[in-house]
Amino acid sequence: MIGNDIVDLVQSRKDSNWRRRGFITKIFNENEQLLIANSYDPEIVVWLLWSMKEAAYKIWNRETGSRKYAPIALLCSFVERSCGSAVGEVICEENRYYTKTIVGPDFIHTTAVKVLDHLDHVVELKRCQVVKDPLGLPGIAMEGRRELLPVSISNHGRFEKIVAVF
Amino acid sequence: MNREELINALKPIIAPYTTNEEAFGKLSEETDFIHDLQINSANLVDIVLDIEEQFEIVIENADMERMLNVRAAIDIIETKLNEK
Repeated sequence: MIGNDIVDLVQSRKDSNWRRRGFITKIFNENEQLLIANSYDPEIVVWLLWSMKEAAYKIWNRETGSRKYAPIALLCSFVERSCGSAVGEVICEENRYYTKTIVGPDFIHTTAVKVLDHLDHVVELKRCQVVKDPLGLPGIAMEGRRELLPVSISNHGRFEKIVAVF
Repeated sequence: MNREELINALKPIIAPYTTNEEAFGKLSEETDFIHDLQINSANLVDIVLDIEEQFEIVIENADMERMLNVRAAIDIIETKLNEK
């Protein structure tokens, strides 16, 4: 299972005022708030953590069939961080998800997986490869396989990302 | 305020974050913020904060969890206003 989330930083600057009173405390737990406060570029850490939560939530949502708006209950931590990337974990209830994030000049893109090894087997796909199964879930057809390989699609602003574990 | 009045008070709060104008025109208690109005999930927190400011209430995390559609929003506002 895979989930991904793209943040277009040009779009997020137009649509969200993350410095607004209450915004940070409603979305981020104390540890995450410290990561943001102690960063030299808090805007990037805000959207980096947000995209980790969103990518992990997409797996949780698909696996449980449940929906909730509880970003603060998705607990993020970094395993490794540099200026252009981050590897981390997100805990949601009893589930642990592994994440890998690319921080570009004007975007942040996180992929989350359930199995750690899968992080090394993530491929990006094009829109034309995607079809829908009878339940409406997106996937790609594989030679010699009856079932579709599940994909995760994320759109924001100028960007669209489609990923699968291959 | 009754539920209809609450929906009317909610509309101007939701409007700036809505990207699907057609669904907004048909807004009812069934309307889903993300699926129908195509509101960006990062803006849902703005709606929660705007509701808190406008109605002078505090929305706890457990309530925010359910805040996915107009019905849940109205339920939460109604309950909080009655507690005042």
